[in-house]
Formats: sequence, C-alpha cells, structure tokens
Amino acid sequence: MKQETMPRFILRISLTLLLITSVMAAALAITNYVTKPRIEQHTQAKILEAVETVLPGGGAEIPFSDATGLVDKVYASDTGYAVQVQPNGFDGAITMMVGIDKTGKVLGISVISHTETAGLGAVAAADTSAGSQFRQQFVGAVGSVAVFKDGGQIDAITGATITSRGICDGVNAALTCVAGLS
Amino acid sequence: MNAYVQALLGILLSAILTENFILVRFYGICPFMGVSKRIDTALGMGLSVTFVMALASAACWLVYQLLLALNLVYMQTVAFVLVIAAIVQVVEMFLKKFVPALYKALGIFLPLITTNCAVLGVTLVNAQEGFDFLQSVINGAAGGIGFTLSIVLFASMRERVSKADCPAAFKGFPIALVTAGLLALAFMGFSGMKIF
Amino acid sequence: MNFKKQLKEGLLTKNPVTVQLLGMCSTLAITTNLFNGLGMGLSVTLILICSNVMISALRKVIPSQIRIAAYIVIIASFVTVVDLCLQAFLPALSDSLGVFIPLIVVNCMILGRAEAFAAKNGVLASAADGLCQGMGYTVALVAMCIIRELLGAGTFGGGLLNNGEGFRIIPAQYPAMQLLMPVGGFLTLGFVIAGSQWLIKRIEKRKGGAKV
Repeated sequence: MKQETMPRFILRISLTLLLITSVMAAALAITNYVTKPRIEQHTQAKILEAVETVLPGGGAEIPFSDATGLVDKVYASDTGYAVQVQPNGFDGAITMMVGIDKTGKVLGISVISHTETAGLGAVAAADTSAGSQFRQQFVGAVGSVAVFKDGGQIDAITGATITSRGICDGVNAALTCVAGLS
Repeated sequence: MNAYVQALLGILLSAILTENFILVRFYGICPFMGVSKRIDTALGMGLSVTFVMALASAACWLVYQLLLALNLVYMQTVAFVLVIAAIVQVVEMFLKKFVPALYKALGIFLPLITTNCAVLGVTLVNAQEGFDFLQSVINGAAGGIGFTLSIVLFASMRERVSKADCPAAFKGFPIALVTAGLLALAFMGFSGMKIF
Repeated sequence: MNFKKQLKEGLLTKNPVTVQLLGMCSTLAITTNLFNGLGMGLSVTLILICSNVMISALRKVIPSQIRIAAYIVIIASFVTVVDLCLQAFLPALSDSLGVFIPLIVVNCMILGRAEAFAAKNGVLASAADGLCQGMGYTVALVAMCIIRELLGAGTFGGGLLNNGEGFRIIPAQYPAMQLLMPVGGFLTLGFVIAGSQWLIKRIEKRKGGAKV
C-alpha cells in the first residue's frame, strides 16, 4: 500500500467519520419524525387520563400561585381542581395528579410518571390491587397527610417509605395550593 | 440558609450517600467489579472517574442547552457519548504531555472511562432533572466522590475476602458480588435519612 | 464458525453476563420483574444484531485509528432509535426501564462484541454472533428476574402475565423484599454466576471423563 501523507490521512479519517455521523443522524431524524407525534400523544393522553381519574369530567387549566415549588399545573372545573405536582420520590421526581373538591377534600390521586423501584415504590403507580389500595387511602383527606411513621394516617407501601413520603409531599403541596385559590 | 445553597447540599449528599451511584443506582458496575482488586488502583480509578464526571457534566450541560435551542433533544444520547469520548481523549493527551507522573498513575484507567455508564448516566440524569450549570457540576463531582467511596471500601473488603476459603463455585466474582451485596445493604441504611 | 458452537458459547460457556461479566449495570438494576428482563434482553439483542451487522459491513472502510469513535456513533444511534420506538409503541416498557435504555450505549457488551467479533468477521457470522450473545444476555437476565421476583415479591411474570399483577406463588407476607433492592441484585447475580460456573465445570468434567 502506498504511504499516505499526514494531511491526506487526516482528511480521509475526518471524512469517513463525518459520513458515518451524517448517515446515522439522518436515520435518527427520520425515526424522530415518525415517533414524535405518537410520543407526544401518549404524554398528552396520560395527563388527560390522570385528570379524568381524579376529577371526573376533566377541567381547564387555570393560573395559580405556589410556595412549595412542587406544583406544575392546576386544572379547574365546577366540582373541584386537579393539581399536577412533582414531588421527589426514592429515585428522582414523581409526576402525579391530585384531585381536590371545592371544600378542600382529596378526591383521588393518580401517578403519571416515576422512576421508582419496580415491585416496591412502583406499587404506588401500579394498576394492581395493592396500588389502588394505597392510592385509595388519600381519598377524603383534608388539611395535610403523612405516613404512620411520621405520625400521620397513611399506611406506607411496604419497603417504600421514601416513595410514600414523596407522594404525601405532593398531596400536601396540592392541598396548600388549592387552599390558596379559594 | 439560602434555599439554593441548601438544594446544592442536598444534591451533594444524596449523590454520595442516599443515591450512591454504584450501590443504589447501579451505574458504573463494570469498573466497580473490574478495578477493585487492590485499594491503590481503586483509588486511582475513583479519582479519574470523579474528574471526568465533573468535566463531562459541565460540557454536556452546554451541549444540552444547544440541543434544546436547536430542538434536537432526541440526539442527546449520541451527543453526550461523543462529548465524553472526546473529553477522555483530551484529558489523556493533556496528562501525557504536561503531567506525565499523573498520566502514569491514571493513564490505564482513562480509556475504560468512555464506556463507564456512571459518566453517561450522570449527564442523562442532569438533563432529565433539568439541573442548572452549577447543580450539574456538583451532581457530577459528588457522583464521582460516591463512586470513589464505594470502590475504595469495596477494594479493601475484597483484599481480605480473597484470602478467605470459600466454595469452589463461588471463587472469584461470585463471592465478590456477595460482598458487594453486603456493602449495598450497609448503604441502604442511608436511604432512611431524609436530606433537607 | 458454525452457528451451533456460537449458540453454545453465547448461552453458556461464553455467556456475556455470567462468564464475560459484561453489561452488569442493567443486569443488576432492572431485573425486578419478568417484563423488564424480557424487554431489556430483547432490546439489547436487537441493538446488538444491528450494530454487529453494520460494523461488520463497514469493517473495511473504517480506519482503525477512529474505529472506536465510529462504533460509538453507530451504537448510540441504534440505541436512540430503539429508545424512541419504545417510547412511541411500548410506553409501559419505556417507563419501566427509564434511563437504562439510553444507557445501553455504554453497555460494554455491545462495544465489546463490535471490537472482538464484528470487526473481524463477515456480516452473516456477525449477525449470528449478535443473536447468540443477545440470547445469552436475555436468558441470564430472565433467570435473574425470575429468582428476584419469586423470592422478593412472591410472584411470577409480573408486569406481563395476569394483567400485570403476575401469579402469586408465595403468600404476600413471606417474600424477602430486600431481594428487589440493590442488595438483592448483587446477591442474586453472585449466586447465578456461581451456579453457571458449577454447571460449566460439571460439563467439562464429564467430557474429560468420557475421553479417558
């Protein structure tokens, strides 16, 4: 093989790398173009579903003020509010929806997304009997909530006190936020 | 105390203890198992990783802002991994040229860091959590310190375990993994703590 | 290279998880129920086949000085494609595996196979290698999941069978949930590797005995 000069060699490897990168970037752009609408649709559908779960009939987004820094969005209807909060769980943030009626009573909670441990913290979001049992405890709560360990009334998920505490933080933030609205 | 400083301290302590990168989040297990037979090499690896993680967090934060501005967030994994590979390469060349003594000590670990998921992991977590520049760098550095802490502790345990007599099938990695499991059990104790 | 030998290597004698000890991050982190294990295993297998084929096809074009950078770009792109597709078409799996999907990029197993096999062999053999190694990875992952889920949660097939609840095998008050936590990951992998070492030694002994 003929000896290449240094500049030619550098040009050759740069061009090869550039070519590979451009081809792969094009492939990514196409995939993104195809999947993006579906991903957005899923995210949107999840949020709407969560609003519907905690506040039957849904609601419209309204402005709000929040001192805790956990509240993302507030939806309101004639019967009450659905508050989207983002407390910290065991491993990163939990995004969830809390439904509260006009008198400040919790109507229900629904977890939209989380990164908790499967089988432990993830139970809070699961469509299983243990999961709905956990979420059912919040229904009817007023003022503030806490787990047994912290002197409250919520039976934490076994082995996932931190996740349960996070969810209580979220519910409390939502209750405080709604109390400030009315 | 200022709320922002408090948040920074929270990130620092949780990355080192309650959400230790190795023992709780499982990032960077390969070097954890591979380079932990002796304490001195473990320390070298830990320090190199800490340095690269802090640097990568800073660089990837800038890149992420660029991707956000260009609406190209789906390219983040590719971009981050390339940035990390480039950083590792530059650090290696820099050390070789200017600090040969340090290069001799850390040189062999540097190529391994490119495929260390702790580094890519921390940059992805920074992006996911929406950390600002300072928070990202602190998370990166603290993650590295947590990595160093656990790998050095683990290496000192392995030095002793290697002299113990255990069933033939457990020789080598299996018994090391059981040891790591016990260390993880100890770190689980931190998870009960609520930091700020 | 024959397929049968590759299959045996991938599944047992050179299993990426239990013998080569590659890709342990995901092995430890996500093996908490059957759905996660299968999903992760199949995603990795798919990415491994794609990247092996592409790298093998390009092996004569890529100069060796920049091969690692080229491999990383190729692997990262395939991972992102799979990540986006999972988010769009299998959101449940994507939610459950989270950041560990993009982290497949730095799963040393994929870069390892690229360097050790795809860079030196033909396209077809590389595809077969990807399939066999990926299957070995999936089998090891699923074994970990079954053990951890059974002893940790007392169920089988969580997230997948019986409406996602899994079938309860051990009554709810008995399982040691620590096995679902990081501790359990390390311990279970330790025992699975010990088990496979024992099995390989036994097979070798038998073969040795037959020869004599």
